[in-house]
Amino acid sequence: MADSMDFSRKPVLVLGASGFIGSQLVVALSGSRTYRAVAASRRGAGAALDATNAADVRAALRDVDCVANCIDGYGMVRSTGVLCEAARALPPRRIVHLSSMAVYGAATGTVREDQAPVSPIGDYGQAKIACERAVRKYVDDGGDAVILRPGCVFGPGSVQWTTRLARLLEARRIGDLGSAGDGRCNLAFIDDVVTGIISALDASGISGRTFNICSSAELTWNEFLVAFAKALDAIPVRRVAPRMLAIETRFLAPLRRIAAMAVSSPATEAITPSLAALWHQDIRIDCSAAISALGLPRTPPDRMIAAAVRWLKSAPVSTRRGWMEPAHS
Amino acid sequence: MIQDADEIVRDAAVHANICIVGGGPAGITLAMTLAKTGKSVLLIESGGLAPSNEAQALNAGEVVDETLHSPADKYRPRCLGGATSIWGGRCVPFDPIDFEQRPWIDHSGWPIGYDDVERYYPAANALCEAGEYEYDARVATPGGMRPVLRGFTPRHFDVNGIERFSCPTDFGRRYQTRLRAAANVRVLLRATATRLRASRDGSRIDGLDVRNSRDVGFSVTAEQFVLAMGGIETPRLMLTSDDVHAGGIGNANDLVGRFYMCHIAGTIGTLRVNGPSDSIWHGYDVAADGTYCRRRFSLRPDVQAGFGLGNAVFRLHHPRIADPGHRTGPLSAIYLAQRFISYEYAKRLVSHTPPTAGTWLRHGLNAATDPFSTIRFLVHWLRYRTLAERKFPSVIIRPRANLFSLDFNAEQVPNPDSRIGLAGTRDRFGNRRVRIDWRYAAQDVETVARSFDLLRDDLAEQAIGRLTLAPDEADIEAVVRRDGAYGGHHIGTARMGASAASGVVDRDCKVFGVNNLYVAGSAMFPTSSQANPTLTIVATALRLADHLGGVATRAPCVGAAEQPEPATVL
Repeated sequence: MADSMDFSRKPVLVLGASGFIGSQLVVALSGSRTYRAVAASRRGAGAALDATNAADVRAALRDVDCVANCIDGYGMVRSTGVLCEAARALPPRRIVHLSSMAVYGAATGTVREDQAPVSPIGDYGQAKIACERAVRKYVDDGGDAVILRPGCVFGPGSVQWTTRLARLLEARRIGDLGSAGDGRCNLAFIDDVVTGIISALDASGISGRTFNICSSAELTWNEFLVAFAKALDAIPVRRVAPRMLAIETRFLAPLRRIAAMAVSSPATEAITPSLAALWHQDIRIDCSAAISALGLPRTPPDRMIAAAVRWLKSAPVSTRRGWMEPAHS
Repeated sequence: MIQDADEIVRDAAVHANICIVGGGPAGITLAMTLAKTGKSVLLIESGGLAPSNEAQALNAGEVVDETLHSPADKYRPRCLGGATSIWGGRCVPFDPIDFEQRPWIDHSGWPIGYDDVERYYPAANALCEAGEYEYDARVATPGGMRPVLRGFTPRHFDVNGIERFSCPTDFGRRYQTRLRAAANVRVLLRATATRLRASRDGSRIDGLDVRNSRDVGFSVTAEQFVLAMGGIETPRLMLTSDDVHAGGIGNANDLVGRFYMCHIAGTIGTLRVNGPSDSIWHGYDVAADGTYCRRRFSLRPDVQAGFGLGNAVFRLHHPRIADPGHRTGPLSAIYLAQRFISYEYAKRLVSHTPPTAGTWLRHGLNAATDPFSTIRFLVHWLRYRTLAERKFPSVIIRPRANLFSLDFNAEQVPNPDSRIGLAGTRDRFGNRRVRIDWRYAAQDVETVARSFDLLRDDLAEQAIGRLTLAPDEADIEAVVRRDGAYGGHHIGTARMGASAASGVVDRDCKVFGVNNLYVAGSAMFPTSSQANPTLTIVATALRLADHLGGVATRAPCVGAAEQPEPATVL
């Protein structure tokens, strides 16, 4: 890979490089003059690495300047613990750790980084809190790390917040949700998130700090879903009754999840209670700290949506269904 | 938060920065918008979350001519959401001409312009859930809306104006969660305002007397009070509060309750269209955002000026349901089912004269001989109206022949003799009931008659169709009287004016001579337009909220010394 051969640029170990954010970061770093990505993931994007294996991680840390920990999902608590432990012995200049707004749980109102979690927090949020705890301990022990908490990461490559929602809109299973969609969507555009990560790699004086990351704090889910549906040509937008949403989350979601094990189609896309709760949650992520400390750009909603739709229309169905592979691999 | 006033103890004193009386679309819009200013907001609503007979009985009153105006307790439910709990959802902005001083209409003209209200329409449209603020048929739906009558380009009417439909959104149900969640908003249900207490010199409102449903009284103090109780209760409370201002608050010039307007509306005429049936579209088109949209024929402003008429619109409509001569099964089925339809809709749909046995029989035959259309209609109604969250707005039935009628909505001109007053009888709180003396003027009849003639001429000139009047419609005044005051649109009884001589409230909706009393809603509209009032009620409430947001920040806290403001949640 050309990247890894260019030794004038500082190497960044990207953990979770085959995941959505990790892969986008690797792409972005390929155009960077300052950094080059050392992509690592279990599934073979760049160097194969088992992030839960301490020896593997220690070896990977040996030749890098800093680390972007984009590992998400199953195993993230363990691998974050392993990373912090390995870094104690062989400290990189900085670890940028990707957390999530899920750590705030059911908090409402304008939420800054010092907001305490509010129950119910959910398994994902709990796992992200555990990861943050490990990172914070690492900082307390003298390490240099920064935590980023993006909202719902949206844009090309996002299965969770782009492909899934597009499928549901196209199937008219969601649309204008009425009072069930009054929550703010706190979308974080993938390009903004990636820019935030890269800024966080070397911004000075931010070690140990945490930053909310989002691009559209003011938009409600209803406003976003209607605009997204229109851009997708999934019109006329359906008005979904609260009772229909309740039937979806309580009765149909478990059935759809079982069916999803056998076949992947819009019909097996479940609307889980936690997803419905998020649409309703009136939480506004305040990212003024990231704007001032990281120069976080904020892509306007119409540009985010246009980019997502372009990607959805052009990407092969296989990439829309699974994690998008990094372009260079 | 939302609280039941029955939990409040006798003689308690409740304080807020801003007290809004009435939890209808205006009051709810104000409360939600003012919540963002951080001021403490108290919303007093006489009813509960749902209508009740007990609360509704407070609306009872006298109607001078019951053939012209619906009973006093109809069309205005006392509950959170107010009239939006029963409205049809038709959203139409006022036209620029509605705000102008028109030499041919006495007492016309607003002290504010169209632009002052227009900038609030997009947000009002969103609150009403009527989709995008786009009222041009050519762009409102993807590819543009279908023409009503293909090839028809009338000289006197604009064919590209539309109406958009709300779900219809019940503001009480839809925004309850937001009201509950707002820390600085307190909604008091079952709290009936019974008296505005003016200061000794009459220049301020010192407090508001309130009763809960158990007749326990308490008082509310606030820096600002807003009356958002609709066009009938607002003047009633102002007139009732007569201990300092002899004729009632804000009534030094005897304007409160006067200029009471509804709309002149109904169905008229028979239109036989010449072209093939596929050249006619009298139904709805659906915008990308899912909103139902419908075209209308709007009387052009220059024509209004040229002929000295009020504003008016026509819609192509199915034949009059009550007349079994339409031979259309679904229409007869509706006629037969009228007792299952709520008063507010049944009145518009069917009832004019008591049906005879022969009428029932003929409708029965229509339904029986046209069973497939009837079933098709019922299935469509069930799916797209009964079970749908965004409801198909009205009965659209293609008649058997190319025979239609015209639905009209016309402005009623401001008339000081048409008025809301107080009756001799009292409600259970001892307050005098309303006396509704609705009157129409010759000019109102002329608007309908002349615009009908102009449309007939336009249709004939372009050989589109033949518009005629039935023998019992030849006298247009009889048609106007048949439909009477359009139910639910109560306008003008605390009108906005440039000065105290011409209005009850000023351009900021503040009552002349009373420094902290405001009126929201259609009571303050000085003219009625052709448009249904709800969208403009919401838009003007947003405008008032903007003003009060600023005023509340600037205003000296009179009474703050003796009445300290609660530090946190009120």
